Amino acid sequence: MEPANSSDDFIPAGLAALGIEADEIELAVIGAAHQLFWPPILELLALDTSAIPVERNPDLSRAPRR
Amino acid sequence: MSQGLDLPLREQAAAIAAGELDATELLEATLGRIEERNPALNAVVETFPERSREMLAAAPRGPLHGVPIVIKDEWPLPWRAQRFGAADMLAEATPGESGPYRALRDAGAVVVGVGNMHELGASSTGNVSVYGPARNPWNPERCPGGSSSGPAAAVAARLVAGAVGADGVGSIRYPAAYCGLTGLKPTFGRSAMAGHHMAEVSTTIVSGALCADAADCRLLDSALFGEELRAGAAPALRIGVVRDEVSEDVAPAVRTACEAAIEDLRAATGGEVREIELPELAAATLATVLIANSESLGGITPERLNNIDPELSPIGRGLLKYRVLLPAVATIKAGQLRTLARHTLAALFEQVDVIAWPTVPAVAPPLEAPLVELPSGTLTADEANVRGGALANLTGIPAISVPVGSSEGLPVALQLQAAWGRDELLLDAAEALEGANDRRWVEATPPPARETL
Repeated sequence: MEPANSSDDFIPAGLAALGIEADEIELAVIGAAHQLFWPPILELLALDTSAIPVERNPDLSRAPRR
Repeated sequence: MSQGLDLPLREQAAAIAAGELDATELLEATLGRIEERNPALNAVVETFPERSREMLAAAPRGPLHGVPIVIKDEWPLPWRAQRFGAADMLAEATPGESGPYRALRDAGAVVVGVGNMHELGASSTGNVSVYGPARNPWNPERCPGGSSSGPAAAVAARLVAGAVGADGVGSIRYPAAYCGLTGLKPTFGRSAMAGHHMAEVSTTIVSGALCADAADCRLLDSALFGEELRAGAAPALRIGVVRDEVSEDVAPAVRTACEAAIEDLRAATGGEVREIELPELAAATLATVLIANSESLGGITPERLNNIDPELSPIGRGLLKYRVLLPAVATIKAGQLRTLARHTLAALFEQVDVIAWPTVPAVAPPLEAPLVELPSGTLTADEANVRGGALANLTGIPAISVPVGSSEGLPVALQLQAAWGRDELLLDAAEALEGANDRRWVEATPPPARETL
């Protein structure tokens, strides 16, 4: 099944499922954000990240442990 | 008489310490200058002269004794809760002693005003704020940069010599670049952050200084770090450059100025330029946004989202609601990409000392329509800017923005990034770069800063 980039279904359904209301202007903003973010999110979800080492609770003030 | 107003931060501090400048006169002159210049800029959203006078009266003889500082509307002060640039910040805010406030107070500085910021810290432009936008002193119709818009505009217009900003996804470096200042994003966890409403959950936000040049940043950041950031001669720098969209999809004038600056820095330090590869860069940008967005959601419920103050901008309201729709698995994968990027950088920093690319790919865009023209086409400034700003926040490394040129009468800036804990090296490198161009760009001043009281 092909993922849908359209915000027509996903956004109203997602907001309704969470019980979140949005007016027309907010929906337009959400739609624009979705057009921008969703394609790279789909690419990210498709990445095989299983080989990436786990860095549990990383200390971001230092280089990662080898 | 400017009563020392136009001196660099370090010279204000030195003159006060030597008894050559009266701190009370400096404070009153600063308040006068804010009153005179700020209406055209909206950089400072609140002053509290009596509180500032009380702070000066009680100020210890620290390294910033008597020096007026503006602090971003992101931290509480003992007499004022932060508003985060928003009508509704969706988090509890009460007056109190934040880490940056304590650091400034203990160094003897005087908080003289609160700096404007982009609503909820959510943009690189600074064009939306509950207070109305701050304006860029180089051109008041252009964006000052965000989210630390007010601190940058205040320093650029010489309302004060130094300001404290915050950087969660580039928010010190973007306004530093747009306003022609030097801005350091410290190594994660190295600078004061206590009291920030997201201090316990954020893995990207740091406090840091915005000043005219690296030496002033060194002094102000030393206070924020709680330790002296010692100056040294930059070694023969191995400068890493990435032939990627972050340095290639850039306005021609910006690219030319930054390439010249990289060559200047190489020559000044007797170093070398090495091409490096950062294959995770594009994905790291998205990863940063996902992580920063999800970290801001901890206290939010659907009910709360249904009761957002209607005075919050439609963009702010819409983006908050969109954030809760982002899939959790994407944030998990973003965390994995963070690990990958950190390992890649750790390996790269064995080959190079700094990584250089333009801080932002184009000069400050119009306030009314923050779009930028790049070789790839027209992009929103946020979409373009985050490419170069996000990596340091994702991985925790320090980064600095240094002014290196001008285009359309607006500043152009180069960003340098270094390994964890090498904040001092970045300051040293920035000073070497300043010296290489005879301090031409750090001493350039916008029209409001050329006026006298």
